[in-house]
Amino acid sequence: MTLQANTRLTAAETALVEAYNTQISDLPGDADVLSARDRLLDDLKTGGLPTRRIESWHYTDLKTLVKTWPALEGADTTKVLPPMVAGSSVLAVLQGKADGARADGFTVSHYRDSLSDGSAAARLAAASDDDAIGRINGSFVRDGFVLEIPADAELEAPVEIQSIHAGGQAHTRFPVKIGAGAKVVVIERHIATSGDEAALVSSVSDITVGEGAEVTWVVVQQQGAADTFLGQVRVDLGADAKLKLFNVNAGGKLVRQELRIDANGEGSELTLRGVNLIGGEQHVDVTLVLGHNVPNTSSTDVFRNVVFDRGRGVFQGMIKVAIDAQKTDAKMSCNTLLLSDEADFSAKPELEIFADDVVCGHGATVADIDDNHLYYLKARGIPENIARAMLVNAFVAEVVEELEDEPLVEALEAIISAWLAKHA
Amino acid sequence: MVAVQETIDQVKQIDIDQYKYGFETQIEVDKAPKGLSEDIIRFISAKKQEPDWMLEWRLDAYRRWLTMEEPTWARVEYPKIDFNDIYYYAAPKNVTGPVSIDDVDPELLKTYEKLGIPLREQEILAGVQTSKIAIDAVFDSVSVVTTFKEELKKAGVIFMSISEAIREHPELVKKYLGSVVPPTDNYYATLNCAVFTDGSFVFVPKGVRCPMELSTYFRINEKNTGQFERTLIICEEGAYVSYLEGCTAPQRDENQLHAAVVELVALDDAEIKYSTVQNWYPGDMEGKGGIYNFVTKRGDCRGKNSKISWTQVETGSAITWKYPSCILRGDGSRGEFYSIAVSNGHQQIDSGTKMIHLGKNTSSRIISKGISAGKSNNTYRGQVSAHRKAANARNFTQCDSLLIGDTCGAHTVPYIEAKNSTCQFEHEATTSKISEDQLFYCLQRGIPEEAAIALIVNGFVKEVIQELPMEFAVEAQKLIGISLEGSVG
Repeated sequence: MTLQANTRLTAAETALVEAYNTQISDLPGDADVLSARDRLLDDLKTGGLPTRRIESWHYTDLKTLVKTWPALEGADTTKVLPPMVAGSSVLAVLQGKADGARADGFTVSHYRDSLSDGSAAARLAAASDDDAIGRINGSFVRDGFVLEIPADAELEAPVEIQSIHAGGQAHTRFPVKIGAGAKVVVIERHIATSGDEAALVSSVSDITVGEGAEVTWVVVQQQGAADTFLGQVRVDLGADAKLKLFNVNAGGKLVRQELRIDANGEGSELTLRGVNLIGGEQHVDVTLVLGHNVPNTSSTDVFRNVVFDRGRGVFQGMIKVAIDAQKTDAKMSCNTLLLSDEADFSAKPELEIFADDVVCGHGATVADIDDNHLYYLKARGIPENIARAMLVNAFVAEVVEELEDEPLVEALEAIISAWLAKHA
Repeated sequence: MVAVQETIDQVKQIDIDQYKYGFETQIEVDKAPKGLSEDIIRFISAKKQEPDWMLEWRLDAYRRWLTMEEPTWARVEYPKIDFNDIYYYAAPKNVTGPVSIDDVDPELLKTYEKLGIPLREQEILAGVQTSKIAIDAVFDSVSVVTTFKEELKKAGVIFMSISEAIREHPELVKKYLGSVVPPTDNYYATLNCAVFTDGSFVFVPKGVRCPMELSTYFRINEKNTGQFERTLIICEEGAYVSYLEGCTAPQRDENQLHAAVVELVALDDAEIKYSTVQNWYPGDMEGKGGIYNFVTKRGDCRGKNSKISWTQVETGSAITWKYPSCILRGDGSRGEFYSIAVSNGHQQIDSGTKMIHLGKNTSSRIISKGISAGKSNNTYRGQVSAHRKAANARNFTQCDSLLIGDTCGAHTVPYIEAKNSTCQFEHEATTSKISEDQLFYCLQRGIPEEAAIALIVNGFVKEVIQELPMEFAVEAQKLIGISLEGSVG
């Protein structure tokens, strides 16, 4: 699974290398950070962008899908948006550069400072051999926020990280440490304000959840219709920690969202939910690697995908159970509504199990709307198009409701309804 | 849940140190020089008295093979194979093809007797067996004997070794050979095209229901040889055949390569049932020796409403790399795959199936059970795909695995690819096969818990076992009782 040596670079790859060479003089970082960046770029240069021959990129051949590497600057200026949930502490990153921040009850600093003083160097390395997103982000990242939620803090208001761009490139990183016993809701929002300019955005969230902490983390992706988004969420889950991780994809042209989660503490619980709305000519790939590394951890993952038009959806979900991870309880399901004959969906739910006393399972389905359901509604006088919309809505809403946080659920449902109204 | 004691005991019974077929037959052999070259291919072709077109076909494949790379994507590990350190042709002396049973070397007959394979027609008729099986016995690189040929001929069924078929029915072979698995398909299939030595050929003409089960028994005996068998089965419109395959090999410290290609063609309304009990030598407890089983098996449901069904019970081989597949080309065609794969010792299995839905209203079903013990790794890898035009394609997949001990691994890698909105795909890899409801139902009726579990589990595994023809049930019997309680996805 190593990136294969490839001497012939595509136009986009050449542009990537050139972009690095021109940007390196003003990319923040001390000597350690700069040599880490050089190593990451070197890997990209020798290996190229991943192709379908690399198993974890089988359905998203980045080498052929990434056609250009846009200029750094965006087309418009950007400004902070009102938060999804009123009263949230907003941490805004405009065009890849962290803005001022309002922090109530936690500490926050600019990631560019960690790059400059070298404290970010150690975590810049790629997470695995096939970690192209980590490499791209690590080479080009300029800013982001470093968050620290103190132990036992209970934040009343959600924290909203807003990453806004209007074309160009933006590469952000968010190292977050959540102290033991802390309770917090974080919304990570990626939004484009200019529609047509093809942007390239990469983002890595590096989250450590302390012992017994309770965290809700919501990733909402609303990129522009021409944008490429390469996102990654890395989670280190401590003992008895509870994490609810939600991922809503409602935008972008080429999207790869990676979720790399390690249950490293006994008694930890993960609730992972995803909604992927795919239409037009979109290619949306959600790839999950979930490691159960210690005994007595549990996880449930539910993904709902809706694919219209000529959309192409991908779900790869790997559950790994280490040899010591007895009594693991892991369940994964991926359900897809395929609503057009020109659309397609590929699913690869994988299990890799080395412990013998565990309960693991996965299920995957792909189908159109159930005729019986449709008939039920039509028989009650509801026109077909409205009946279909109702059923699609219900299919994804079911997952969102599990957040059990009313203002947040309403905000997400509004985003989903708006997307469906536009595409369905 | 952990595996119950009963299961552990049953798996132990078929553990690799219990391998019963590890004896070696002392017989004089005729071998081609070691190594692989165009000359060796010419040698094989000449030994088989093949026509020129066949030799050219082989040489083309060989030249292409030289440009190919060995696949590395499967979850198996083994030292690099030196393809020049293998004998590509080995046959018992003076045997170049099947002869009448009376002319077969008594040493060979003894071997098959020991393996429990009936080669004498009269014995079968006089015996307790109620149904007849026609057998093609392949020993290293040649087919030794084919039984019931005459009787089958009366029904219009052609059953003979592929070498004979190339000589006697070149038009059929030319038409179908390589039409399902093209010579360019993959590294091992291409190698097979170049050097295949024997295997079976079956042709069932229009409207004929083959009057008996057909079977091929493969035996690797000679040291350092590779076995490259080629099987081709064709069922014309409305025809039916059930075919069984069995394999064993002696116990040796060196690894031996077995790279077979099996092609099935089903025309309109035809049905082919292909069953395998694979019991190649798996290596010893330290992982030394054993067969590398790198096999390409594919069925083409070429006609409307045709059906191909694969059933396999896999207990042998050091490494298994095989994916019996169905191409569902004909409208309304159906593919099935039933598998039980048990790995022990240091065995590595990476096996599964592919169901490629191309035609309209096609359906497929996959039931796979993997059981790993010892230090083995057992991977299910399967693909289900629906083409743009495959309206109403339907698939149901269920794969379960069970781990015994914590030094082995079980893996599931399904690929589900849907390109048509009317398709309905369901993939399931669930855990507790025994639902609380079922157990409660039994307990309530006074059945003790252990007995209830056994009852439910047996009913469950029978899904695969019942697909095996009666004749193979005996070999599979040991596996029937294996409980899947505590299975993991």
